[in-house]
Amino acid sequence: MKVLIVEDERSMAAEIEAFLTKAQYSCDLAFTAREGLEKIEDNAYNFILLDLGLPDKDGLMLLKEARKSCPDAACIILSARGQLEDRIKGLDLGADDYLPKPFSLLELQARMQAVLRRKFGMQDATIVIGDFKVDLQKRTVSCNDEADIALSKKEFDLLSYLLLHKNRPVTRMQLSEHIWGGFADDDYDSNYIDVHIKNIRKKLSARAPVDWLQTVRSVGYKVKI
Amino acid sequence: MKLFTKLTLFITLSKLAIVALFVWLLPFLVNRIAFQYNDYYLKMQKKKVLQVIGKSGIDAYLQGEPSYGSYTMLKEEYISLEPAGKIPVPDTITTQQRVVEGDTLTYRVLSYTFRDHQHSYMLEIGKTTASIGQYNQPLQRVALYVLIALIVSTIVLDFIYTRLLLRPLSAIIHKRLQQAKFPFKEIPPPLQTTTTDFRYLDDALTALMGQVREAFEKEREFTANASHELMTPIGILQHKMENLLIEELPEATEKRIMDMMKTLQRLKKIVHSLLLISRIENNQFPLSDSFAVSGLVTEVREELEHRLVEQQLSFRMQLPGKAVLTSLNHDLIFQLVYNLLNNAIRYNKPGGAIIVSETNLPGKPYQLHIRDTGIGIPKEALGSIFQRFKKVEKKENEGYGLGLSIAHTIAKYHDIEISVASTPGEGTVFTLTFPGEAQRLP
Repeated sequence: MKVLIVEDERSMAAEIEAFLTKAQYSCDLAFTAREGLEKIEDNAYNFILLDLGLPDKDGLMLLKEARKSCPDAACIILSARGQLEDRIKGLDLGADDYLPKPFSLLELQARMQAVLRRKFGMQDATIVIGDFKVDLQKRTVSCNDEADIALSKKEFDLLSYLLLHKNRPVTRMQLSEHIWGGFADDDYDSNYIDVHIKNIRKKLSARAPVDWLQTVRSVGYKVKI
Repeated sequence: MKLFTKLTLFITLSKLAIVALFVWLLPFLVNRIAFQYNDYYLKMQKKKVLQVIGKSGIDAYLQGEPSYGSYTMLKEEYISLEPAGKIPVPDTITTQQRVVEGDTLTYRVLSYTFRDHQHSYMLEIGKTTASIGQYNQPLQRVALYVLIALIVSTIVLDFIYTRLLLRPLSAIIHKRLQQAKFPFKEIPPPLQTTTTDFRYLDDALTALMGQVREAFEKEREFTANASHELMTPIGILQHKMENLLIEELPEATEKRIMDMMKTLQRLKKIVHSLLLISRIENNQFPLSDSFAVSGLVTEVREELEHRLVEQQLSFRMQLPGKAVLTSLNHDLIFQLVYNLLNNAIRYNKPGGAIIVSETNLPGKPYQLHIRDTGIGIPKEALGSIFQRFKKVEKKENEGYGLGLSIAHTIAKYHDIEISVASTPGEGTVFTLTFPGEAQRLP
């Protein structure tokens, strides 16, 4: 999976690259729009992560070019300008998603997965974990081909987010930001994430052990495979 | 009152006043002129008589008689010539009563004493006052008619001309002030007028609108830039920490990174809130949404459901009116209600209640009340709760003191009056008074 990161902040680009490389993406970096254009012309990317505030050209211009020369690439706009119009313009010009800065890297990966699923349907939509089968498309969890286990929307979102970031500790903050988005409030110590996790465990363990869903002390939770 | 109305009223009233004054003075004036002319006429008659005497001698009249007198047919005029007494009488023109052949008539009489061949004579020429004023009435009537015709035609002319003259002013008011919407993205073309004052006014307003728009754009640019400059480093830090957490780290280190992330999260929230306030204050949110109040409150409630459950709070929504509010920004009002409800949850007691109700009377501004049974706000703190970075009471799950400040900014932006009443230990009510009456869901 080839990703082009167009971002003028070098250290941010480097962190994104490090994170995505670990998640088995191969990354190219471009720090200016010109560089970005060259790379788009020379390579076939699956993904373009595009910052709008580039030093030489507006990122939206680059987006137009990318649509022409790399029509198959999925594009996610990363912007710190935070203006609604940028978002609308970007999506109008064919971007697949828009992520306002600062964003969580985990959220970025989740969005990329979602875009891939939506756009190419290429992701394996079922994940097998322990005795459980999780269908991300149908949003169901089943155990040993028995009837589906009824999880609430938020419970399913939490579970799939943890599954996506398997073998990695996910903090309560990252979880609540994913579930509640911008409205995730300032009460991260509050235990509503724990309440949801407890419910998930209770519902799943009625069928089979859930030792793969681990608590990471003082951090959050982790799905261990 | 409009300038045009004022001018028209003034013109009409002032002209009517002048007419009234003239009508009131007219009989007097006409009378006076008639009398003056009559006096002049009497003097001319006297002159003629003296000329006749000078030419033909006094006997032309007396013809040997001691005195002479003559009347016209209807006794309107008379002339008499008599020997005067020894005592000299001054020459006068007076109004006197005379008895003529049994009738008492009022005359205007000229008396003149003169000498002729060692004899003194007194000449009297008289004319009845009734005949003096005989043309007064028709004269007055004609004068009045002419005057009224003149006044009416000038009023009509004034009316038409004022209307024409003031047309550019109404165009300015309509196009520049009533139609123009902040932040004046489209400025209509300059006005066509030959009146320099209006030209100046129009140009000044256009320039002013241009300046406002420019300032608005600058502010907007600044917020975008500030947002970018602040959010980028926060983003970098966040990414570095997230990447660190992936590594296998000792638990103590992980905990420290967590603490750092929490602090960073806090910074992020504050910057977000300040930018939001700044954007609202720069009018960057269009006020063009309409929505049902109950729908909005339900949306907010769904967002906060988990916290209601967590604190075992009961939530009651008493909004039977199906009220619909217009000319608002949905996202901002959502945030406003969210912040107030969030507050109601945060400062509630376990097992407490939150009640959202309304006052929706026809012809009265719509009011939304958010009541909680929480810890309440001490009286001395009530005045400052909407200020930035003020906290009501230290609590474990402390906010950053911007929630109510944002609520206040949003309310102000929408002309919503936000008020608070609280009894410490019993609860708090926030009341939003919207600028107008609510519409009803069909």
